[in-house]
Amino acid sequence: MARILTIEDDETTAEAIVSELTRHGFQVEWVADGRAGLVRAVSGEFEAVTLDRMLPGVDGLTIVSVMRKAGIDVPVLMISALTEVDERVRGLRAGGDDYLTKPFASEEMAARLEVLLRRSRAQPRQTMLRIGELEMDLVTREVRRGGREIALLPTEFKLLEFLMRNAGQVLTRTMIFEAIWGYHFDPGTNLIDVHMGRLRRKIDEPGGDPMIRTVRGAGYAIHAPT
Amino acid sequence: MRRPELWRTTTFRLTLVYGAVFAAGVVALLGLIYASAAGFLTRQMDEIVVGEARALDSAPLGALPRRIADEEAHDIRNVNFYGLFARDGTWIAGNVRRLPADVAADGVPRQLREPGFQPGARALARRLPTGEILFVGFDAKTLTGLRVIILRSLIWSGALIIVLGLGLGALLSLAPLRRIRAVQQASLPILDGDVGARLPTSNRHDEIDMLAGIANGMMDEVERLLWAVKSVGDNVAHDLRTPLTRLRALLYRVRQGAAADGPQGPMLDQALVETDALLARFKAIQRISEVDRRERRAGFAPVRLRALVEEIGDLYEPLAEDLGLSLITRIEASCEIQADRELLFEALSNLVGNAIKFTPRGGSVRLRLTRLPEGPRLEIADSGPGVPEDEREAVLERFYRGRRERDTPGSGLGLSIVAAVARLHDFRLILSDASPGLKVTLDCWPVAMTY
Repeated sequence: MARILTIEDDETTAEAIVSELTRHGFQVEWVADGRAGLVRAVSGEFEAVTLDRMLPGVDGLTIVSVMRKAGIDVPVLMISALTEVDERVRGLRAGGDDYLTKPFASEEMAARLEVLLRRSRAQPRQTMLRIGELEMDLVTREVRRGGREIALLPTEFKLLEFLMRNAGQVLTRTMIFEAIWGYHFDPGTNLIDVHMGRLRRKIDEPGGDPMIRTVRGAGYAIHAPT
Repeated sequence: MRRPELWRTTTFRLTLVYGAVFAAGVVALLGLIYASAAGFLTRQMDEIVVGEARALDSAPLGALPRRIADEEAHDIRNVNFYGLFARDGTWIAGNVRRLPADVAADGVPRQLREPGFQPGARALARRLPTGEILFVGFDAKTLTGLRVIILRSLIWSGALIIVLGLGLGALLSLAPLRRIRAVQQASLPILDGDVGARLPTSNRHDEIDMLAGIANGMMDEVERLLWAVKSVGDNVAHDLRTPLTRLRALLYRVRQGAAADGPQGPMLDQALVETDALLARFKAIQRISEVDRRERRAGFAPVRLRALVEEIGDLYEPLAEDLGLSLITRIEASCEIQADRELLFEALSNLVGNAIKFTPRGGSVRLRLTRLPEGPRLEIADSGPGVPEDEREAVLERFYRGRRERDTPGSGLGLSIVAAVARLHDFRLILSDASPGLKVTLDCWPVAMTY
């Protein structure tokens, strides 16, 4: 069970984070103060950190840059009330791995943290992704399901790769848009849905067991067919 | 703003008026001097001719022609004229051979208008006791000389006044003109939205300083009010952010705790959907003020418009196809501009998304990149219902939802974000009629300021 450190000064927000991460099976320790947070963050006891940008004592940017200087490279999800585009850049440059602005949805926060954790644990030189009978060759860029070759457009390939790298993980539309297109604004829900629909029609045969699932009100996830 | 011409400045015109008044004064002064001098000289000439006549009059009988010849011999300036005529007017002696008709033989000096005499010459004629007529004249050579001097003075002083007046006028106007230009230059950033900029003042405390001071005072007030409005907005945003985060978190936890198929389930789901819509709108508002607040050109880098438009086409093509629309992307130029790529993409994405949203099935959305002499132009046209002309300004305002949007979901903020992005880049955003439908034009070059 992965241990997560949550540094957040607002109690209600912290409770929401802790309860959602606990629900996802993490063991969470909460610190409300920047100074104490910094001490815990550099202790090396945690696999990931959720970090508020503005904290009493020591602020989030300082904490993450001190962590990085101390050689602690666990994923850090920065959570901030500052929405400026430059703030995101500043947060990521200081060493944060992802940036979430308040107000946020708890499940989005948890999904982002899980993706970060998965990425930090992934084998670096993986050339083949495999879920059940679905295979993706990252070198030849070929996709097969049960031996049947599937031709994908570049965007569809990237979409499927992102899903497969995070198999079983719920991915929100915002996360998908950020990961595939690289932009950080809300493109509207149905835009991602139609791209997903196209991919799904190629991956899942009608009448067969669907692999790509829509998680109501949250996003998408890919699973091995049951 | 047109450059003020030198001759249009108040100082220059004032100098010209002063010059004209001064010239009139000089003319009047010289005229007066001439009139007085002419009067004086005329009286002198009269005295001379009367005296001469009297002197000749007293000559013994028969000696008069000799006396006249003597006088003529002594007149080295050649200004004296004499004539002695018989009773019937025949010439007897003197250098005047014919008695001028307008000189009556009454002994009174009068003006002589005869060829061979300068204008203003004086003469008299008197009948001698013998019945002969004695004519004495004095030519006005001095008077003519004086007139020439005065006229020459007038011409020279006039020319001098005109040259000096124009020169001084230009000189006096240039300094204020330079300051006006400085004010003009300093006002450009203000017109461009920099409320912190101020007009320059000197320590002369003149009328330009006074006006600049008043304008600066007004700008201080505008800036203060803007900051007040902005801080209210920021405070509201800041005060709302935490409660909204908490509200979303609490609702979500309640939903997690409720039985999936319990009676509250659908209601809680709906509450979450509504809260998410609220959060999306809240973020959109924050986004607009954030774009407006952005340090101009901070995130600018070269952007290849062709790639950007292709990317937008790829992003929206599936959505258009799903809705039974054709999305036609036409790239007729390839150009690079200085822009914030992410914001420009967001703006285009909003425009194309809007066009798709409002176009009924079977219609088309056209995305076009062309190049004009001034720079690249992006056009997004749809075959939807369009926007009435009187609403085109308003749809760019925050929260405005036009007649065509009443029945569709949305925050009414999409076009405001586009407008904010255009403002940030100094690009021009024009809504026009695509007949049918709406055409949005984004001219991707900084609009030259025309005030």
